[in-house]
Amino acid sequence: MRGARAARLAAEALAFLAALLAAPRAEALWHALFPEVARPTFQQDSWFLLLGWHLVLSLGAVGLAAVIGIPAGILATRPAGRRMRPLLDAIFSLAQGIPPVAAVALALPLLGFGAAPTLLALVLYAALPVLRATVSGLDSVPAGALEAARGLGFSPWQRLRDVELPLARPVLLVGMRLALTLSVATTAVGAVAGARCLGTPIVTGLANANPSYVLQGAIFTAWLALLLDRALGLLGAPSPEASSSPGSGGAQP
Amino acid sequence: MIRFEGVSHQYGTLEALRGVSFEVPAGALCVLLGESGSGKSTLLRTVNRLIEPTAGRVLLDGRDVAGIDPQALRRGIGYVIQSVGLFPHRSVAGNVATVPRLLGWDRARVEPRVNALLEMVGLDPGTYRDRRPATLSGGQAQRVGLARALAADPPVLLMDEPFSALDPGTRRGLQTALRRIHAETGKTILLVTHDLEEALVLADRIAVMAEGRLVAEGPPAEVLGPGAPEAVRRMVRTGALVLHRLAALPAAGAAENGPAPGSPGLPAGATLEDALLLMLAHGTDSVALEGAPPRHLTMTAILRASAP
Ligand SMILES: Nc1ncnc2c1ncn2[C@@H]1O[C@H](COP(=O)(O)OP(=O)(O)OP(=O)(O)O)[C@@H](O)[C@H]1O
Ligand SMILES: [Mg+2]
Repeated sequence: MRGARAARLAAEALAFLAALLAAPRAEALWHALFPEVARPTFQQDSWFLLLGWHLVLSLGAVGLAAVIGIPAGILATRPAGRRMRPLLDAIFSLAQGIPPVAAVALALPLLGFGAAPTLLALVLYAALPVLRATVSGLDSVPAGALEAARGLGFSPWQRLRDVELPLARPVLLVGMRLALTLSVATTAVGAVAGARCLGTPIVTGLANANPSYVLQGAIFTAWLALLLDRALGLLGAPSPEASSSPGSGGAQP
Repeated sequence: MIRFEGVSHQYGTLEALRGVSFEVPAGALCVLLGESGSGKSTLLRTVNRLIEPTAGRVLLDGRDVAGIDPQALRRGIGYVIQSVGLFPHRSVAGNVATVPRLLGWDRARVEPRVNALLEMVGLDPGTYRDRRPATLSGGQAQRVGLARALAADPPVLLMDEPFSALDPGTRRGLQTALRRIHAETGKTILLVTHDLEEALVLADRIAVMAEGRLVAEGPPAEVLGPGAPEAVRRMVRTGALVLHRLAALPAAGAAENGPAPGSPGLPAGATLEDALLLMLAHGTDSVALEGAPPRHLTMTAILRASAP
């Protein structure tokens, strides 16, 4: 079952790479679709280079979002930090509320062109799902297990490391998966700031009235997001829809 | 030995404990009885410092627990709760090994200890060691909870309604196991329950709480005796109180020498309640105690014992 899904996914990943390889050579196809466009295939950059940068940006952003969101979620669920919970949630919601395009544009004067403003926009966007997943994962830890851990003499740090985080993990992974899918789909806006990624053909196409570039960039971006989401699903994180419960199996009789 | 000296605790303005003083002798199994909200759990939790008294102190073998590092203190005290609280991500063996691992025991010492404990609580190590808590029944889970509490061989065991969530049959099984373990290990046990039957089955001593105060404390027959305080009477119907009192007295104590031909036999170790029920069932006014030398027990002796 899992093996068959993995094999299908591998086949699709190969198809994706083959399509990337074929993209600059598929002149005839794109010409048929967009007869009025003089040069319908994107030749300025290697598609593989764009893919590589796209992955670096989106994975890097999710990594940074985790570095910020997980500790914030832990803080919000400690007795001492509980009062900060609404504030943290509000800050992270506000951050996500800024449209990534606007965040990139606003960051440009400060951070200049390229990867930096893009990373900032993506981190602002992806930190909320990580925070929320951390908090709900930690909230889902059975109260009895926590009481037992205290009563048996775990230190607060041991309780977090040995009981709370392992039990919160399934929910946390769902949030990370959501953050990564969002991030991969959104990284394309980085092209506005001149960061090279799968959004570059889109922005170039928009600037030069070349709908063929736009369509190719959009297809590869969406396809990559779907592939990664399913790859993560296969790695054990349950899909966001299927996991309202923590799935950790309660000890309560 | 656990000693409470004027222990009070307030949650905000609510006085949950009001100057509780008594002592649980070393090796005793003391049952803490009382209505819901009377402060039983709060008192229990002052012993391992999950709750700090706002006044008074708790002594463990003469040492004020307030002066002991809470984590070290808790690792040296067994703790069993109604919701069991097994760690779902660890195997049964992993759960039982919790405190030894916190104490840094090496594997060679932990492994045999885990097996011995599973056997002690009546679970076959081969069958249960590697199971996950989610695959256990309620009774099995609480047996593991008990094994986990006993793992590092603590001299004191705190149990907060450990069997209350179990069905009656399962509960009796665990009560029997606990009595046997108490007899084998001589631990000092403080156990909270609502259930008077359970108290009678288990207790060497009963402490009764009402509204944050200790209202009675002593051996079961004394606490449930004719002079029982109002709070105790309220817990049981008046008629039933007599039966419970009889259930706390051994039949042998009221027996007379000599045979009682034709009377039904009463097993050794039975209580006066058992003797009375046997008489009622057979329509006789005496029962013969099984074993030698021949002894018997009369209805008159039971009446004398029930209202001295
Ligand atoms: N954390 C808390 N904050 C505020 N009040 C509390 C807290 N814990 C307990 N109380 C109150 O303190 C009183 C004693 O509670 P406690 O849990 O000790 O009672 P109990 O005898 O164990 O009751 P039960 O048999 O229902 O478990 C109750 O009135 C309860 O509502
Ligand atoms: Mg209680």
